[in-house]
Amino acid sequence: MSHVLPPAEGINLPGLLLVFAVLLPILGLIAMLGLRALHPERVARVVAPLGLLLACAILAEVWEGRSAIDYTLGGWAPPLGLKLRADGVSAVMLVLAALVIGAAALFSQHQFRTPPDAPGDTRAPFAFWSMLMAMWSALNLVFVGEDLFNFFVALELLTFSAVTLVCLDGRATTLHAALRYLLFALLGSVLYLLGVGLIYGRYGVLDLALLSELAQPGPITLAAVAMMTVGLMAKASLFPLHLWLPPAHAGAPPAASAVLSALVVKAPFFLILRLWFELLPAPYSPLAGQLLAALGAAAILMCSVVALGQSRLKLMIAYSTVAQIGYLFLVFTLTAGPAPFAGLGWTGGVLQLLSHALAKASMFLAAGLIAEDMGHDRIADFSGLARRQPLAIFAFGLAGLSLMGLPPSGGFVAKLMLLSAAAASGQWWIAAVILAGGVLAAGYVFRVIGAAMKDRDGEAAQPAATLPATGRHALVLALALLALALGFVPLQPLALFAIGRGELAQGQP
Amino acid sequence: MSAAGLLLAAAPTFPLLLGASALWRGARAHLLRVLPVAPLPALAAALLAPGGSLVLAPDPLRLTLALDLPGALLLGGAGMLWSLAGLYAARYMAGARHRTSFTLWWLFTMAGTLGLFVVADLASFYLAFSLASLAAYGLVAQERNPEAERAARVYMVLALLGEAFLLMGFVLMAVGVADGNPMIAQALERLPASPWREAILALLILGFGLKMGLVPLHVWMPLAHPVAPMPASAVLSGIIVKAGIIGLIRFLPFEAGAEGWGTALVVLGLFTAYYAVAVGLAQRHPKVVLAYSTVSQMGVIAAVLGAGLAAGDPRTRTLAAYYALHHMLVKGALFLGTGLSAGQRNGWKRVVMAVLAFALAGLPLTSGMLAKYVVKDVFAPGPALWLVTLSAAGSAALMLHFLHRLAHAAEAKRAGPVLLASWLGVGAASLVAAWALFPVVTNTSAATLFSPATVWKASWPILIGVLLVLPPLRLADRVPHIPPGDVIVWAERLLPRLRRLAEDVERLDAFLRRWPVAALLLVLLMLLLGAALQLSA
Repeated sequence: MSHVLPPAEGINLPGLLLVFAVLLPILGLIAMLGLRALHPERVARVVAPLGLLLACAILAEVWEGRSAIDYTLGGWAPPLGLKLRADGVSAVMLVLAALVIGAAALFSQHQFRTPPDAPGDTRAPFAFWSMLMAMWSALNLVFVGEDLFNFFVALELLTFSAVTLVCLDGRATTLHAALRYLLFALLGSVLYLLGVGLIYGRYGVLDLALLSELAQPGPITLAAVAMMTVGLMAKASLFPLHLWLPPAHAGAPPAASAVLSALVVKAPFFLILRLWFELLPAPYSPLAGQLLAALGAAAILMCSVVALGQSRLKLMIAYSTVAQIGYLFLVFTLTAGPAPFAGLGWTGGVLQLLSHALAKASMFLAAGLIAEDMGHDRIADFSGLARRQPLAIFAFGLAGLSLMGLPPSGGFVAKLMLLSAAAASGQWWIAAVILAGGVLAAGYVFRVIGAAMKDRDGEAAQPAATLPATGRHALVLALALLALALGFVPLQPLALFAIGRGELAQGQP
Repeated sequence: MSAAGLLLAAAPTFPLLLGASALWRGARAHLLRVLPVAPLPALAAALLAPGGSLVLAPDPLRLTLALDLPGALLLGGAGMLWSLAGLYAARYMAGARHRTSFTLWWLFTMAGTLGLFVVADLASFYLAFSLASLAAYGLVAQERNPEAERAARVYMVLALLGEAFLLMGFVLMAVGVADGNPMIAQALERLPASPWREAILALLILGFGLKMGLVPLHVWMPLAHPVAPMPASAVLSGIIVKAGIIGLIRFLPFEAGAEGWGTALVVLGLFTAYYAVAVGLAQRHPKVVLAYSTVSQMGVIAAVLGAGLAAGDPRTRTLAAYYALHHMLVKGALFLGTGLSAGQRNGWKRVVMAVLAFALAGLPLTSGMLAKYVVKDVFAPGPALWLVTLSAAGSAALMLHFLHRLAHAAEAKRAGPVLLASWLGVGAASLVAAWALFPVVTNTSAATLFSPATVWKASWPILIGVLLVLPPLRLADRVPHIPPGDVIVWAERLLPRLRRLAEDVERLDAFLRRWPVAALLLVLLMLLLGAALQLSA
C-alpha cells in the first residue's frame, strides 16, 4: 500500500482526515456563532475551499492506496466505539458535497451578505450560513459513517438544517412547504429508528461492518431493512413518497435548492445503498429489488410528464429531480451477479448520482439568476430571455444535456451504462423506461429554451440589452461543464467505485 | 500524429472553435462572414487525407478518426456545400435578426455533420450524430414564427425518437464486449453472431431511416424546409439527411449480407420514392416540392442500400455515397437557386434551374445520369431494378411541377453577384465532382457513358415523366391538394388526447401527494417491501 501521507508513529493520519471532514464545517459554525464580528459569509469563504481540499485529499488517499480509509474514534473499536470509513464511493461523495456546497457558498456571497451596519436584519444571512455548515457536516457524516445510530443523528441534523433553508424567506407558502417536509421526514425518521431498534435488539451491534458478518436473513432483519428503507425512501423523495419535495425545493432560495436537490436527497439514497449491499445478506430477493426499480420507473415516467406541464421553472426543475431520483433506484435490479461492484449497473448508478447532482445544482442556480433578472419564473413569459441572459440559458441547456442523457455528458455515460446493464440482464422494460425518460426530459428542457429564444412582443425593433456576465454566471457554467466532463469517463466499470468493496469486486485492480 | 490525421481532426474541430469564439464580443460580430471558411479543413481532408486515421484519445476512451472512400466522398461534398452555402448565408443573413444565433447553430450543425463522416468508433459517432441532429433544431426554428415553431417541434420529437432508437441499437451492439467503446468496424464484425441481430438492425434502420426521411418518418422535412432560411434549407436537405445515409453505410453488414432486412429496405425505399412523388405533385410551395423530392431521392438511396445488403455486396457503400454526393450538391444548388430565380418566367437562371432539376431525374451528361448509372450495378435484374429505373420518371414529373411552381412563386429579390456565384458554384461542383470521381468509384473510364444506348437508357424515363405532367394528362393538376407533411396532420389530431393524458397524470400526482394518501402509501410500501424481502429468505 502506498499512501500519500506516511503513517506517523501511532497516529492514523489519513484516518484523521475523515474526522476533519466532519469537524471542519462544525468549526466554521462555531466561528460564526462565537465571533459575530467575522461575518459568516467570510467564514464560509474560508471553510469552503479548505473542505474541498480535505475531500480531495481523502479521494487521493483512497485512490493511491486502492483501499478504504478507516478511523476508530478514540481508539475504541466497535461495538463499543465508533468507526469512520471512506471507500471509493464515499470519497467521491465527499468531493461532490464540497463542490456543490462551495458553489452554493460562492453564489450566495452577495444574496446573504451580512448588512454592514449592525442594526440591519442579520437573522436570514446568519441562518443561511450556519445551516449550510451544519448541513455539510451532516452530509459528510453520512458519507463516512459506519454506525446505524450515527446515521440517524446525521440524518436528523440534515433534515433540520434543510427545513430551515426551505423557509428562510419566511413567507407563508414556504413555511407551509417546510412544515410538510419536516413532518414527512420525521415519519421517515421514525420508521428508520424503529428499524435500527430491531437490528440492535437482534444483534446487539450497530456497526455496519460487524453487522455484515453477523446478519442472518431472518424475518426480524428483513423487516428492519424494509422499515429503514421505506423511511429513507420518504426522505429521498422516491415516488410516490414525494409529496414534500416540489414545494420545498421550488420555494427555497436558489443556492439552497441547488444543495437540496443535488445532495440532501442523495444522502438517504446513499444509505439505502449501504443497507442493501452491506447489511442485507447477499443476494437479496430479486423481487424486492424489482419493487424498488418499479417505483423508480414510475417516478421517471410520471414525474417527467408532470414536469412537462409545470408553468413555473423552479417547480419544473423540482419535478425533474423526483424523476431523476427514479434512475438511481433502477440500480437495485441492475447489480445482480457475483460481483455487483465490478458491473456496469453499479458504476452507472453512481455516475447518475454524480452527474445529476452537478447538473441540477447548475440548473437551480441558473434558475436563480433568471428569476432575479425577470422577477418571476413563469416559463410562458420568458420571451427575450436568451438575449438578456445568454450565459444562464446556455448553462441551463448544457446541464439539460446531462438530464436528457445526450452526449457528451455524465448523464449520457450513466444512462448508457444502465441501459447496457439492463440489456445484458434482459430487463427490457427498464431499457424502455430509460429511453422514454430521456425523450421526456428533452421535452421539458427544450420547452424552457424554446420559450427563452422567443422575442418579446413589441420589442422587436430594440433588442433587449444583454446583461453583463458575472462571476455567478461563470459558477453556473462551471457546474454544468463539470457535469459534461463526467461524460469523458470511459464506458467501463470504474475501479474507483469498487474500492473498499474489494471482497466482492473481482477482476479490478 | 500525421498531417492527414491532423486534417481529419481539424474538420469537425475548426467550426467548433469558431463557434466557441463567440464568447468574445469582438469575434461575435465577424462570425457570420467567416462561415465560408469554416468547412475548408474538411474539404482539404477529403482531398488529401483519404486513408488517414488518428486516435484522438487512447484506450479506454478510444475516440478514433478515420477516412475511407465513402466517407471522403460525403465529406468533400459536404465541405463544398457548407462552404458555398456559407458564402450565400453570409450575404443572405447579413442584417437579419438573430444572425448571431443563426451563425452558432450553423457552425455546430456543420461540426456535427463533418465529424460524422470521419469518426470510426461508436461513441464518437453517436456524439457527432446528436450534435448534428440537435443543432439543426436551431436552423429549423430560425424564423421564430408559429410555422417555424411547429416545424421545429415536429423535427425535435422525431430527432429525439431517432436518437433513442440508435442509442438502444448501439448499446445492444456493445453489450458484453470488454472494450466499452468498440470501433464501428469491430462492432460490425460481431453483428452477425449477436443474439440480438434482428433487434439491432431494426433499431438502426428505424433510427437512420428517420433521419433520411423514409415514409412515414419523413414528416419533418416538408414542414422544415419552407420555413428555414434559404441557405439553411439547402444544408438541411443536402447534408443533414445524409447523416442517415452515412449511418446505414457504416452500420449495415454488407459483408455478411442480410437478405430479409435488405429486401425490407428495398420495399420501404421504393415505397418512399413513389409516395413522395405522388404527394409532392399535390404541393404548391416550390420549397415543399423540393422537400418531397428529397424524400423521394432518399427512398432511392435506401433501395440501393437494401439491394446491396440483400446481395451482400460491400461495393454498395461507395456507390451509395456517390449517389448521395450527387444529390447533396444538386439539391443544395436547387434550394440556393430557388431564392434567386423564383417568379421568373424566362432567362438563363431558369435554364440553369431546369438543368439542375432534371439532373435529379438523371438527365444525360449531368451528375444524375452518372449516379443512376453507377447504382444500377447493385441491383440484380428484376422488378426492383425496373422500379428504380422508372422512379426517374417520377422525379422528372415532380421536377417539372417544381419548375412550374417556381415560375409562379413570388418574385425573388434581385440577386447579387455573391449569391449568384455561390449558387452556380454548387451547381458546377456537382458536375465536376461527379465526372472526376466516376473513374475512382467504378474503376472504369467515363467514356462508356457516351454510348447512345446509355444515353437512351437515361432519357426515356424523363420523357415519360414529362409526358405525365404536360397536357393532356396534367397529372399535377388532378391530384387533390394535400397539406405539407401529409400524415403529420393526422398525428397532430392526437395531440389533444395526449394533453388530456398528461392532465390525468398531473391529477394522479396531485392525488398521490395528499397527506392521507402518502401516509397510507408509506405503510403499504413497507409491508410490500417486507414481504418481497421475505420471499427469498
